[in-house]
Amino acid sequence: MSAITLVEAVNQALAFELDADPSVLVLGEDVGANGGVFRATSGLLQRYGKARVVDTPLAECLIAGMSVGLAAQGMKPVAEFQFMGFMYSAIDQVVNHASRLRYRTRGRLSCPLVLRAPFGAGIHAPEHHSESAEALFAHIPGLRVVVPSSPARAYGLLLAAIRDPDPVIFLEPTRLYRLGKEEVPNNGKALALDSCFVLRDGSDVTLVTWGAAVRETLATAERLSTEGVQAEVIDVATLAPLDMETILDSVEKTGRCVIVHEAAKNCGVGAEIAARLADDGLLRLLAPVRRVTGYDTILPPARLESLFLPQPERICAAVHELLEAA
Amino acid sequence: MKVFKLPDLGEGLQEAEIAVWQVAEGDSVAVDQALLSVETAKALVEIPSPQAGRINRIFGRPGDVLQLGDPLVEFAAEESSEDSGTVVGRVESSAAVTRELPTVVQRGNPSGAKATPAVRALARQMDVDLAVVTPSGPSDTITARDVERVARIFRELGPLEVLRGVRRTMARSMAQAHSQVAPATINDDASVGRWWPEQRDLMQRLIRAIVAGCRAEPALNAWFDDHAPGRRMLKSIHLGIAVDRPDGLFVPVLRDIDSRTPADLKAGLERLRRDVEARVIPPSELRGYTFTLSNFGTFGGRYANPIVQPPTVAILGAGRIRDVVLPVDGVPAVRPVLPLSLTVDHRAVTGGEAARFIAAVIADLEE
Repeated sequence: MSAITLVEAVNQALAFELDADPSVLVLGEDVGANGGVFRATSGLLQRYGKARVVDTPLAECLIAGMSVGLAAQGMKPVAEFQFMGFMYSAIDQVVNHASRLRYRTRGRLSCPLVLRAPFGAGIHAPEHHSESAEALFAHIPGLRVVVPSSPARAYGLLLAAIRDPDPVIFLEPTRLYRLGKEEVPNNGKALALDSCFVLRDGSDVTLVTWGAAVRETLATAERLSTEGVQAEVIDVATLAPLDMETILDSVEKTGRCVIVHEAAKNCGVGAEIAARLADDGLLRLLAPVRRVTGYDTILPPARLESLFLPQPERICAAVHELLEAA
Repeated sequence: MKVFKLPDLGEGLQEAEIAVWQVAEGDSVAVDQALLSVETAKALVEIPSPQAGRINRIFGRPGDVLQLGDPLVEFAAEESSEDSGTVVGRVESSAAVTRELPTVVQRGNPSGAKATPAVRALARQMDVDLAVVTPSGPSDTITARDVERVARIFRELGPLEVLRGVRRTMARSMAQAHSQVAPATINDDASVGRWWPEQRDLMQRLIRAIVAGCRAEPALNAWFDDHAPGRRMLKSIHLGIAVDRPDGLFVPVLRDIDSRTPADLKAGLERLRRDVEARVIPPSELRGYTFTLSNFGTFGGRYANPIVQPPTVAILGAGRIRDVVLPVDGVPAVRPVLPLSLTVDHRAVTGGEAARFIAAVIADLEE
């Protein structure tokens, strides 16, 4: 078993499920002949044919609408959007139909679709190719929002997303697509949805993060440990519904929490986590909850991108502030 | 693989003639390094390389006329460059293999007290450690009233005096003794009417009596090793003398009491007393005793439960001499008695040894 990248893990999961379940199909712009804009669907057309790996027109609303129809009739479509920023034209299908099909039909129909999109900045692309709009979807009842941050989690969570009977927005951190490899056994084992992953045990502060920011957060935890500060690192992974139990357990132990995300701060998923910590964890907090996030602006041009993204320096500074508070 | 084509040289020129190649196939070039010179209708122009890399192939020879967009050179594929697909931006690659280990998370060790931020701020302001506050709020929450209650108690008590120096050492060593030693105490009286009060040097007699006791029961002049466990029977007797001072308990050592003359011992005692008064006693003089004497009776008190300090195994306490009515030859008589309290570490000393020791001490004191 050789180590594979995150994008290869996505490909491996798609192939496994195409093999295992004849109702699964892949659709999207350039997913067939071209193998996908980031090569996530590379080779699938050749292996599974045109009926199951479908190149669509350049029309995101259509991709989402077709997926809803397929899902309602018993198929399990896995649609690719080339960039998260292109999903906005599909929002009506996602919010008005996919998320509430089960509710609207009193359970007669369900909508087992997966909408995949690369998301996040750090690849020097123009701004609408670098969106982190996970909060938009996390806000919608009836949707699951899942963000893997390693090849193993990309594989296990994508399998779980495809097998889930309800719609899942599956956001893949573009910056991590080819940044590092991991051994991922192709055994078809899904990981648990709706569950955080604790990546590091610590007693002094809880760092809560997801997506590409997991990388900088883990680097920060390493740096803090050389100063004698033990940080617990939690990859939230499923942003909706939130596994607050794991986060609250950790904050009860550490008394301090820094939330790190790439998306803008205002109304981000970090705000929801902070609010729930205030609801249920306030009495254990030794210091205020801090958020280290992107800024409330459109993503700047490539040259300034690294200033926008949370860097270890900023995360470290927030942790030190909390340690001084108590 | 990337092919570099004849770029637009400006001024509406559509073709150029190759004058001379400045690189060859297989060469590595840097960005902006001149690749070749071309002759246009207007001038000799150098064409720089748009990128760094190794040149795989050269198209055209000097004299060939090229049209705009004709291939010039082909660069070799970069070794690490894989097809990352994307049409915009750049997806960074790394072949580094990560291995995430399963994380075992410690739970059930909450970060201390449960309190709202306002209560924490109040506690900080009133200098109250929440760890010592008993919570009275719902599900063990500390309320503002709890903090105020503790602050009031602290105010009445006055500030905490942090122990320093000798008193601090006393606190530590007594706690250590308490946690290790298995103490057993025997009390008895010695009738000292034969020499008291004519002969008032009680210390001299006590030292003599301890030497007599140790000769009768050497097990009490020993060091006990908690770890082994084991004991060392000691040849010489070094007497630690408990001295009470305002700043705490001192135990200076009078060495070799079993082999020194009374006059020598008297001089030694005097010197110790002066040194302790002047606080000039070196640390070496406060270590290495094998038996302890506490003559607390000079201040008052009858019996006590003196504390044995490890590694020693015994301590003798002497209370205040008092007159009592004793039967002497069947008739009541008033006699002075010296109350004695012997504590031994029962891990190292048997009850019989302790009893025979105190009997020997009394016998010597009653001479």
